[in-house]
Amino acid sequence: MNRIDQLFQNKQKDILSIYFPAGYPKLEDTLPTLQLLQDKGVDLVEIGIPFSDPLADGPVIQTAAKQALDNGMTLQLLFDQLQDARKSITMPLILMGYWNTVYKFGIDAFLAECQKVGIDGVILPDLPLEEYKAKFEAAGVHNVLLVTPQTTDKRLGTIEKAASGFLYMVSTASTTGGALQASKEREDYFKKIAALDIPSLIGFGIHDKASFQHAASFSNGAIIGTAFIKALENGNASEFLESLQ
Amino acid sequence: MKIKVCGLKYSKNIKELVKLPIDYAGFIFYPKSPRYVGDEFDPAIPAIFPESTRKVGVFVNEELDALLAKGKKYKLDAMQLHGGESAEYCKKVKAAGFEVIKAFQMNDSFQFNTLNEYENACDFFLFDTKTENYGGSGRKFNWKVLENYKGTTPFFLSGGIGVQDAEQIKELQHDKLYALDLNSGFELQPARKNADQLEIFLNKLELNTMNKDKYAVNERGYYGEFGGAYIPELLRKNVDELQENYLKILASEQFKKDYARLLDNYVGRPTPLTKAGNLSKRYGTNIYLKREDLTHTGAHKINNTIGQILLAKYMGKKRIIAETGAGQHGVATATVCALFGLECVVYMGALDVERQAPNVARMKMLGAKVVPAISGNQTLKDATNEAIRDWIANPESFYLIGSVVGPHPYPDLVTRLQSIISEEIREQLEKETGNPNPNYVIACVGGGSNAAGAFYHYLNEKDVNLLAVEASGLGVDSGETAATITIGDIGFIHGSKTMLMQDDDGQITEPYSISAGLDYPGVGPLHAHLAVSGRAQFLSATDEEALNAAKVLAESEGIIPALESAHALAALEKMQFKKDDVVVLNLSGRGDKDMETYMKRFA
Repeated sequence: MNRIDQLFQNKQKDILSIYFPAGYPKLEDTLPTLQLLQDKGVDLVEIGIPFSDPLADGPVIQTAAKQALDNGMTLQLLFDQLQDARKSITMPLILMGYWNTVYKFGIDAFLAECQKVGIDGVILPDLPLEEYKAKFEAAGVHNVLLVTPQTTDKRLGTIEKAASGFLYMVSTASTTGGALQASKEREDYFKKIAALDIPSLIGFGIHDKASFQHAASFSNGAIIGTAFIKALENGNASEFLESLQ
Repeated sequence: MKIKVCGLKYSKNIKELVKLPIDYAGFIFYPKSPRYVGDEFDPAIPAIFPESTRKVGVFVNEELDALLAKGKKYKLDAMQLHGGESAEYCKKVKAAGFEVIKAFQMNDSFQFNTLNEYENACDFFLFDTKTENYGGSGRKFNWKVLENYKGTTPFFLSGGIGVQDAEQIKELQHDKLYALDLNSGFELQPARKNADQLEIFLNKLELNTMNKDKYAVNERGYYGEFGGAYIPELLRKNVDELQENYLKILASEQFKKDYARLLDNYVGRPTPLTKAGNLSKRYGTNIYLKREDLTHTGAHKINNTIGQILLAKYMGKKRIIAETGAGQHGVATATVCALFGLECVVYMGALDVERQAPNVARMKMLGAKVVPAISGNQTLKDATNEAIRDWIANPESFYLIGSVVGPHPYPDLVTRLQSIISEEIREQLEKETGNPNPNYVIACVGGGSNAAGAFYHYLNEKDVNLLAVEASGLGVDSGETAATITIGDIGFIHGSKTMLMQDDDGQITEPYSISAGLDYPGVGPLHAHLAVSGRAQFLSATDEEALNAAKVLAESEGIIPALESAHALAALEKMQFKKDDVVVLNLSGRGDKDMETYMKRFA
């Protein structure tokens, strides 16, 4: 069974997902970071494929992606680094990136590598949801879709039909790394998505224990990216993860 | 694939159909048919169709003389024979100068060898469903039997085809399938066709654009394989909103009136088409310059910003976001925002802010907020990224894009707004030379908006050569270039599938050109399509070639061009024109903003 499905079957509340870019802060840090996340009890990890032009990301992830690229990170190198990851890593793993790098790699080659190293899902925000649906399904890799506060009910219907694994619920109209403002409107949006028949995790603007707990109270859990990258940069990743407990 | 619509009769109905790319129009002259045109049929009715639509008479065992007389009276191009007409008979009809379409009724046991004797007697076969009478069953036959047809005569597929069959037809692979014969499946009542259903069907088969205008965008935003909308969900609602509204608004009387008025009395259109006498002598041909440099703000960019600001106004938007490279689009946007009293935020690469100081000052004086983009290489690509990020964070704003790039509908929207350039060239050239079509149209391409505008009305005029000139910087192989088509390959940038400069890992590489307006690693999807399909020829010019071409124009015609336009001028050196050729070069902007660069080189 796909590890993402397994996770949502075994755990419905307070799922903690962490995002970090591959090859950051040092080229060889991908695997040690994964190990740390698993040791600290993280449920799910999104490994970022660094891209030169990350449209949906704020300054922190942009800078981290640039540093990873400067370190020499590539998609092929990421697959190489993950070659033996499954010997020790049991958490579900997701690759998150932009469509151009995957297109250039070749969608078939990409999915074959995903299967080989044990990737459970992908998040490719700029890939139209109807494209390559059959290929993702055949490979057993979830193509996780985003919903946003701007998503119309009509569009939500389309997304729900095409959805796979879980829904990535973007908390707010912003790039990554913004602040999450609580409001009635926001809570109504969270509740609407949570009522759907597919699990959901809330991301964008989740940065500490309080915001995590707030978001997780409306969904199956939440995703932290920017705040964790800052912790990696400052060398206090362990402490940061502990502070979320 | 060709389209035949058969069983037509009523002039009012035909007038609804002429907007569709119908290749054959069929009129039934068999009195027992419910679609019989009648004894008193008016010859003016088939003539409602344009010349390009071939008129077909449908007959069953008609006397040869009577058939030929009908052919003459109704100016028919083709005869469709539905009875037991012999091969001899077909040959006689063919000899009288008509195309012959011989119909055969199919069932699972049809013997295709009975067609052998007709192979040279007919131009086409038509395969219809077998019925007790002649034709018109409204049912489909089993298309699998077509696999048994190994003849050489191309055929029309007929019998009960309806809108729901589009997918199956797309999958139908037969190299002799020439046309679809559409009749009762698209009827409101006998002989009265449903134009809307026909249009939907043609769109589904992507024939509507392919036959009529293969360089136009399709309804999903693609030019051939390029274009589309590859955007994060965060932008979906904004882009959908624009897709739903732009054509409606552009087609509205109010928009057309406002746009025309502003182009006329604010932008200063039409811009002249100047015969460049000295330049013509120098290159031994006839060169005309389309003077976009004479518009308000000094470049073609304002054609687009005027149109988009009206669109923004009609959509009720209050805040405008734009990106800019050289600052020309930024100035044109700040200008129209001032005119309409809207808030304006312009993103500009931090490096460009430094090298284009006069335009930064102009934008500020016009009341715009200029935000330096400090990510990446700090040029146009990064400014565009920042503008899009602003739009994600401020979805109620209007993103006023400056070129024929970005997600659908932007490439089409900007192309339409810039098409005024070729619209005017056609009129002006016809007045000047008696022919609206030149032999060549030349324009520079960064994202490609001035080229899209200069090419637009010539895209389907095969005798007009389209020359696009990219900036090759220090040389196409130097690593310091912006010649996307020449060195790039297929990828995705700013929401569009197009040609792109990227490394083996799919990272977008940094372009370089002396001209900030051509310094872009992608190109509009229309241009990628024009390049791949061979419709336009892509050349490139180096920094040095462009600088020299600017000097030549200044000294020979008294016009200082923008550095971008100077790349188009540099192509004149690379081409061999004939003495009688008419060459139109789109002079997209004036050189005031580039004086510092020119002075460094020539002072």
